[in-house]
Order: sequence, then C-alpha cells, then structure tokens
Amino acid sequence: MADLFALLSWSSSSLSAHRASSATASHNLSNANTPGFARQRAHLEAALPADAVGARAYVGRGAALSGVSQARDAFVERQLPAAFAAASYSDARANGLSGLTALDPDGGAGLTNALDAFYGALRQLTQTPGDRGARQAVLAQGRVVALAFNRAAQNVAGARDGLDAQVARDVARVNDLAKSLAALNRQVRVEQASGAVPNDLLDARLRVQDELVQLTGASVVPDADGNVNLQLPAGGALVNGDAAATLSTQKDAANRGHLAVFLTPPGSSAAAALGPGALGGALGGALDARDGALATAERDIDTLAYDFASAVNAAHRNGVGLDGVGGRDFFAVAASAVGAARTLAVDPGLLANPDQLGAAASAAGVPGDASNLFAIIQTESAALSGGLDVFDTLAAAIASWGSAVDSARTAQGRDGAVRDQLTALREATAGVSIDEEMIALTTSQRAYEAVLKVIQTTDEMLDSLMKLR
Amino acid sequence: MRVTDRLLFESAAKHAAAARERFEAASREAATGVRVQHPEDDPGAASVMARTIAQAGRDAAIGRALGSASDELQAAETSLDAVSAALSRARELAVQLSNATYGANERAAAAEEVTGLFKDVLGRLNQKVGSRYVFGGFQDAAPPFDATGAYLGDTGVREVEVAPGVTVPASVRADVALKGAGGGVDVLGTLQSLAAALAANNVAGVQGTLDDLDTGIAQVARARSEAGSHLAVMDAARNASLSAHVDGQTRLSHLADADVIDAAARLAQAERALDAALSAAAKSFRPTLLDKL
Repeated sequence: MADLFALLSWSSSSLSAHRASSATASHNLSNANTPGFARQRAHLEAALPADAVGARAYVGRGAALSGVSQARDAFVERQLPAAFAAASYSDARANGLSGLTALDPDGGAGLTNALDAFYGALRQLTQTPGDRGARQAVLAQGRVVALAFNRAAQNVAGARDGLDAQVARDVARVNDLAKSLAALNRQVRVEQASGAVPNDLLDARLRVQDELVQLTGASVVPDADGNVNLQLPAGGALVNGDAAATLSTQKDAANRGHLAVFLTPPGSSAAAALGPGALGGALGGALDARDGALATAERDIDTLAYDFASAVNAAHRNGVGLDGVGGRDFFAVAASAVGAARTLAVDPGLLANPDQLGAAASAAGVPGDASNLFAIIQTESAALSGGLDVFDTLAAAIASWGSAVDSARTAQGRDGAVRDQLTALREATAGVSIDEEMIALTTSQRAYEAVLKVIQTTDEMLDSLMKLR
Repeated sequence: MRVTDRLLFESAAKHAAAARERFEAASREAATGVRVQHPEDDPGAASVMARTIAQAGRDAAIGRALGSASDELQAAETSLDAVSAALSRARELAVQLSNATYGANERAAAAEEVTGLFKDVLGRLNQKVGSRYVFGGFQDAAPPFDATGAYLGDTGVREVEVAPGVTVPASVRADVALKGAGGGVDVLGTLQSLAAALAANNVAGVQGTLDDLDTGIAQVARARSEAGSHLAVMDAARNASLSAHVDGQTRLSHLADADVIDAAARLAQAERALDAALSAAAKSFRPTLLDKL
C-alpha cells in the first residue's frame, strides 16, 4: 500500500518526467530555426506497475518518461532524396547556363552585328576599291569580327572554367560529407545498440545525407543495421556503412583540359572515371551544363569562326592587293576548328598594310577592280561545313543555345516546385511551431506546479502525522 | 496542413523573392523596351532576329553601295551629255565652215572654239567622284585622258550589287564610248582633227570630219542610253533595298521590341503583386502566442 513517503518518491519521478517534457519543448524552441531539426516529443506514461491497494484496487504511481521521439513523415522522407537530387541538378544546370551573352542576337558587339558590319564594309569598298580609307574600314570591321569571336569564345570558356571551379569545390565537399556520414553511421549504430533513439544524431546524419544527395544525386539505401548507405546514380557506392568512397578530379585533355571526376570506392585504391550521367545533383548539373549546352555553344562558335575565316581566306587568296600581289590570307585562323574562335585575328601583314587587301581579280585590274570583293561577299551566302550559310549557322547556334537554356530553366522551375512542396510537407511534420511549443511548455509547467503542490500537500500530511500525540 | 513559424517565414521569403523577380523583369522590359535580349527569352524569335538583322544590314549596305555607284554613273552620264553637246556644236561649226563663203579668219576663230570644246570635254572626262576617276575603268586613281586626248584607262567595267549575288555594270567604257574601240570613232581625235582642219583653213578636211562627228554623236548617245538604263536598274534596286531594309527593321521590331502598353501593364501588375506579397508576409508574421502569454 502506498505510504506518504512513497507518494513523495513518485512525485519526484513525476517531476522528472515533466521536467523532461519542459526540456524537450525548450529544446524544440531553441532549434526552431535549426536546419534539418525535427521537433521532438517527450512521451509521458503512467508509471508501472501500479501499487496494489487491497485485493481489488490499484493506486497509480505517478508519471514516468517513456521516451523522446522525433516527428518525421516516412512517406515524405522517402520522396525527398530524389526531389533534392533532381532540383539540385536542375538548379546547377540552369545557373551554369545563365549569364552568357556570347550568342545574344542583337548584342552591340555581338557576332551578328559584327559579321553584318563586316560584309557591309566590303560592299562599301566595292565602290571604291582603291580607296585606302575604305580598305582600312574593311580591316577595322574584320578586327571587330575577330574580337567578337574572341569575346564569345572567352565568354563560353570562362563559363566552363567557372563550372570546373564549382566541380572541384563540390568534390572536396562531397569527400568531407561522405566521411562525416560514415562516421555518423558508426555513432548511430553504437547509440542504437543501447536501445535509445539518438534523435539529434539522426538529425545530424539526415542533414549530411540531404547535402550529399543534393551534391551527387545519390540514392539512399538504409540497411537493417541502421546505416544509411548512398549509391551514385551509375551504381557506385559513395557511402557503405562506415566506409566512404573518395571523389577526385583530373584534367581531361580530350575535353579541352576540363576536369573529369573519378571515384575511388570504399576500401579500394583504384580510381575509375565517372562517365556522363554517373553523377546527379549539383555536380551532375554542373557537368551537364559544362559538357552539354556550353560545350555545344563553344563548338558552334569555333566551327563558325573556322569555317567563316577559311571561306573568306580562300576567296581573298584569289585576289590581289594594290601592290599586285595575291595569295594572301585575310584572317589568321587556327589549323583546325578547335579553339579557332579564341585566336581568330586579322592577318597581321594585312592589318599593317591595307594595300594588301585583295580586292582585284588580277594585277591588271588594280586599283579599281572589285571583282574579288564580290567573290568575298559571296562567302556570306555560301554553305559552310554544316550545310548552312554564315548567318543561318549563327541563327541555328543561337536557337540551339536559347532552347537549351529555356528548357533548363523550365526544368529548374518544375523540379524546384516539387522540392519546395515536399520540403514544405517535411516542415509541416517536423518543423517547430513556436505556438505549439509554448503551449507544451506551459502545459509541462502547470503539471510541474501541480506535482509540486502534491509534494507540498504530502509534506503537510506528513507534518500533521508527525504531530499526532 | 500544419503551419510552422519557419514555414511561414520561408514561404513569405520565397513568394516575395518570386514577386520581386517578376517585378524586376517587367521593370527591365518596360525601361529598355526590349523583349528579346538573350536567346533564352524567346529562342525562336532570337534565331529569326539574327537572320533579320543580317538581311536588313545587307539590304542597307547594298542600298549604300548603289547610292555611291549611282552617283558615279550619274556623273558619267552628265559628262557624256556635255560631250554630246560639244560634238553637236562641233558638227554645227563643221557644217557651217565647210561653206566656201567663209574665210581663213572665220575658220581660225572656229578652230579656237573647237579647241576650247576639246579642252572642256577633256576636263569633263577627267572628272572625279569621291576618290575615283569616273571614266578610267579599273584605272581610277589617275586621270584617264592626257592632254592630247590619249586614253590612259583600261577596259574594265565596274559593277555594283543590286541584289545578293547579282551585279550590274556601273560604269561606262570610255575606250568604246569615246575612243571608238570595237569599231567606233575616236571622238576626241575627231575634235582634234576638226580643230586642225579649221586652223589650216582646210575645207576638205573640215568636211571629212562630218561623218565621224555624226558617228561620234550616235556613239556617245548610245553610251548615255546604256548609262541611263543601268541607272534605272540601280535606282529600282536601291529603292527595293531601302524598302527591304525598312521591312527588315519593322520585322526586327516586332520580334524583339516590347509592346510598350503591355509592358507598362505588366509592370503595374508585378508592382501590385510585389506589394501584396510583402503585405501578406508582414501580416502573417504578426499573430503569435508569444504576444499573448
């Protein structure tokens, strides 16, 4: 049968339970803005076993803390990794493709206007082929074209180099996080072995897991031991239990020296190159932007520069300058299309001496013959290596680039909306409501005060009892 | 759905950012008047814009070149007109002074006039437009005729583009029109012969120039006629080019420019939406139990 001293003891246990409840609410309030934190609930239950009173009754023994759990919606949590991976991929791809002005259709110093002005100057020169001022104007417009190609190539190459820096930074971060996740797996296993649920440790592991998924697009594979394993989209293990793989980068000569990503699996020392599609998330998106639309734009600009300059050179070589000499190039162009736009320039000899411009078809026609200028102008409508003329080739490159960026932005919006929706659902379940926690805190406080009253009453009862004579 | 404080803040931040982004885009379009600045704004329109800019630029350049060529040919035609007038006057003098009633003094005076006509014609044929001598063929850097009337130019015919890849002659072959290459008469030589015959009081010599003067007048008229027909073609092509250029600019404007009224309406709409998003966010932050406890 319960005596007053037992009542005091049970009240003490109840106070502990309510203190834990207050502490949990306080912990929740403190972490209301902590990313990845899931609100926790202290579960109180009637202390068992109840005290038997006589043969037919039980008197309760107060409240006890049965555990502290965190609020997570398994359904939402299961969908989030894929949503995070897709949204990060789309974000990285769309961001990687933003800010490029090389292919703006009407940019002041863009390719369209530069090429247009070059052919315009040639047309003007047809009416005064011996005029040195007009020759100088053609050379000036030739320089503008070359500079427009140089700038466009630098613009695209700069964007690709920027993505290399991002890839290198992300790879280093992935390696740190993968090690952290492996260590957290080990800690969680140890904690769970004691039967307790390490809520804050689970939150910390989920935060690392979320970030890794966002960076690599890895899928989450929990196992029966309580580990969270991560597998890359192409199938390689990034984290396996408490072992982590390592990512590394190397310059790829076949890809203009841009970084290729390699995977060294856990427990191995052999690094294998990760091909296209082997990585998702921000890394995959950055690589896709770099080696997809940007590489295509770079190739398009290079090919156009090479084809255009080669065609102009071929026509120009057939003409003779005011000095009666022919066979000269107009542009100094690379030997192949690779990198042609970046190095394109007007032939230095021609630039120094406009008389060398091959306007006439023969020495006899110097200085008034403009026949060869008409032949050069014809390169404007001649089919280049892609089967289209100069401006149609440029228009196709502009359309291709515009469509790639447009579709990347559409995907970014779509995937971002899915992520935001699921993140909101996660927050709705796991997030801390200050109102709720204030109520929970007040509830605990009231209960705590009530139990204190019980102690006070019991104490008075004991006092009364002691004073009996 | 359970709404937490962070959900409220994040949602407010997201909506305000989206509204601000739309406001910025609408503001940029209204301020610049440009709808398609980058290919991704409208990939199809951007691609057509590049072609349209090239076509409009080409039409304008062809128009400008035609303008220069037209000025030159116009000058050539005017010179030929003067040559024609000089030949007619020389023929009048030749007919008049073939008459035996005129004496040596009259013929000497006429010889002076014909020499003057010759010099005048020479001056006109050595005319420059801009930096080019009109009648020199491809040899346009130096006067095509020397003081004796010898032709120093060549047989080259200058051309001008009337449409992409299509050219027409834009000069007169002075060797044919004035020096009689290919079976005509040497107009300048004929004037010199007439002057010499008049100066020498050689009636038969004066009479002997009449046929050549007639042929020369016809020959120059033919050259003028050819120049005129080329000019007509060039004028038509120039008008077509300028018209095509204007059409191109109009198409470009339709493709790239923002509809001002539409842009202003969207700006006002975006501004209202931003204001609403900020007001809603501010209101949603206010009610909290913390203020009541």
